[in-house]
Amino acid sequence: MILSDSRLTRREALHCLAFGGAGTLFALSGGVLTPVDLARAASLPGQGAELGRPLFVQFSDTHIGFHKDANPDVAGTLAASISLVNALLVRPALVLHTGDITHLSKPEEFDRARALFSHLRATELHTVPGEHDVADATVSEYFHRFGALSGGKGYYSFDHVGVHFVALVNVLQAKDGGAGFLGEEQRAWVQHDLRARAASTPIVVFAHMPLWSIHDAWGWRTLDAEPLMAELRRFGSVSVLNGHIHQIVQKVEGQITFHTARSTAYPQPAPGVGPGPGPLKVPADRLASVLGVSSVTLQRHPRQFALHDVSLA
Amino acid sequence: MLALTTTGLLSGSALLYAQAPATRHGDAERGRRVYQVCAGCHSLDEDDVGPRHRGVVGRQAGSVPGYAYSPALRDSHLQWSPENLDRWLQNPQALVPGAKMFFALADATDRADVIAYLEQQR
Repeated sequence: MILSDSRLTRREALHCLAFGGAGTLFALSGGVLTPVDLARAASLPGQGAELGRPLFVQFSDTHIGFHKDANPDVAGTLAASISLVNALLVRPALVLHTGDITHLSKPEEFDRARALFSHLRATELHTVPGEHDVADATVSEYFHRFGALSGGKGYYSFDHVGVHFVALVNVLQAKDGGAGFLGEEQRAWVQHDLRARAASTPIVVFAHMPLWSIHDAWGWRTLDAEPLMAELRRFGSVSVLNGHIHQIVQKVEGQITFHTARSTAYPQPAPGVGPGPGPLKVPADRLASVLGVSSVTLQRHPRQFALHDVSLA
Repeated sequence: MLALTTTGLLSGSALLYAQAPATRHGDAERGRRVYQVCAGCHSLDEDDVGPRHRGVVGRQAGSVPGYAYSPALRDSHLQWSPENLDRWLQNPQALVPGAKMFFALADATDRADVIAYLEQQR
């Protein structure tokens, strides 16, 4: 991992890459998104290894317990995603899960998810809850299992090879249209947490619901995220990750890259397309192409973050 | 999609009947397809994030045995008439502040069609 000297300046271009299910590599440089055929990427020297060593993999919306038409075997597709990560030439040390680990917050669903993730060849699994993880009457199952690092609050931060990670919870106080909400206490905490960091520190913020506005009518936003974004703008490199919408959407705003992940369970419609958000039933032979995981690498020459989304197809 | 709140109680629910607008009769077959978006949280025959839907039209709100309703919906005294379902699907938090559900169907035709579909699921 080449990270110790990876101070990303405001001026440096972010280079975001996504492997789409159709086999396209998207390169984003200077705010311009450029699709590159995967076959061409594969022809690069090092077959893509020059992109850098994997920093972490993002899983999201595994929805263990869901068993309807859109995907009757979510455990199977999660297992396939885990195999995909285990097959990486250089495996990342960290795995981030951006919520909705389970579908109904049942103890047996959490236990099943934990059993599946035990097959992941990674050192650490970091999670934030989705709204489906806090659906139990006492809102305790998730925090009982994953709350130790945060004193039961669910939000916390940690450092890994020079990168500062901030895990946030925006699913406990739903607002207008089901939008996320951080709350005053958490916003004060994150402001304090970031204040001590040098502007050159690469920052990764992750939460379940989008921390940026994707489609307000469907609640795909976090109502009180703007003060956080203002705080983040002084940093040279920021990645803001979320799940919830079960598809890839990316945006670059200054030095902040926003990225939403695919679900490993089922897809959802594009923002504003159709009657509303919900499981999208696709032909069985297409399902793998709309599910997947993301990995992020950080490399030194040139210094850049790279986001890779890998479908199961 | 699911969103949770824990506060808020409905008051004056009887007034809702008086204000209920007429609902056009929907296309149940199209409603079956629209209902797919409800499947993130609902099923016909088992409790999911939300309660089971079979027989919902005409049912008393908050009455499915074993499902953990919000206090707001449980105490709403609403009956799921087509008119009240239309209001609910248009903006559940406006009808029952503090209910668990935030999901809405903005389009009146979508709502009418889903309600027509649910009317058939007895």
